[in-house]
Amino acid sequence: MTDQANLERGYRRLLAWYPRAFRRENGQEILAVLMACAPDGQRRPGLAESADLIRSGLWMRLRPSVPRSARTVRAAVKLMYAGAAVSTVNLIILLAVIGDIKAYHAILGYHLTAAQVSHLNTLAITMEIVLDLVPIALWLWMARETGQGRNWARSLSTVLFGLATLSLTSVFPQSVINISFVPTVHISFVPVLGAIVPVLTWLAGLAVVWLLWRPASTAFFKPPGVTHAGHSAQPPSPPRSSSSWVPRQL
Amino acid sequence: MILTALASGGQHGYGIITDVQEISGGQIRLRPGTLYTALDRLRADELIAVDREEIVDGRLRRYYRLTPAGTKLLAAEAARLQAHASAALARLNLAGGAAT
Repeated sequence: MTDQANLERGYRRLLAWYPRAFRRENGQEILAVLMACAPDGQRRPGLAESADLIRSGLWMRLRPSVPRSARTVRAAVKLMYAGAAVSTVNLIILLAVIGDIKAYHAILGYHLTAAQVSHLNTLAITMEIVLDLVPIALWLWMARETGQGRNWARSLSTVLFGLATLSLTSVFPQSVINISFVPTVHISFVPVLGAIVPVLTWLAGLAVVWLLWRPASTAFFKPPGVTHAGHSAQPPSPPRSSSSWVPRQL
Repeated sequence: MILTALASGGQHGYGIITDVQEISGGQIRLRPGTLYTALDRLRADELIAVDREEIVDGRLRRYYRLTPAGTKLLAAEAARLQAHASAALARLNLAGGAAT
């Protein structure tokens, strides 16, 4: 009996990976199936079972809830997740070149004390990491809100895309609008990838905005003020975080 | 597989798992997490629907059944697979006949 209670508690903990609404609707039922599947004497969830529940729960949280009929919106949401993935590559690049950045600062700050250089490193690298996290968060947020049919997300995505376009121009050193006095970190340390990533994310953003404003997508979005008829009936637009990591001035 | 398990009538979650295992000759053992992700998707696509709910031993047990759209899709899919299988068998027979 205690074994069973332990097992049930373990399963309940794993079910927390699922979205709350899904848990409310199906939690008891899944729990019953899990308990029925468990062999006598099992005291805690197995590894494979736990992995399956965590994977399914995360998938439920992340997958777009856009109906199959709204094809353009589904495509836009997928692109937003792709944008988040590419932005993550950007963060990985940054983490990989931290050593180079420090060396760069050591040269730049030859007239500074070691403590000052170290302070500069901490400040600059923290700022870089935060700036790289912002686009990832924006992509995911917009994908989620768009997937739930929020019309404001469509407008916000478009605005973000505009901002991304402006900041993209500063990626290229010879650009007229280049305001960075120190070249963008990623570009300076990883010339090819550092330039490709912002362009890729910008293109994804462009495609997203285009998809979201197609007549087929507009039909999916509810006009403001109308009560929601079904679940996730109106799609919003995706945000663009593509260029957020682009202009880095240290 | 889940649709096949529901083809002969409404089933609850655990019933689907054991049924799929039986249909696949023990090869496929659905895990509850995977099953409910699939059920949720099938319900959203209106291929299955909740048939009825019961409380057994203080726990909710929900029975699912195919919708007309689900039945149609399953029939089309089965016909497609059957056509593939017949084509494969016919060609194997031909090849076997030629070889002997």
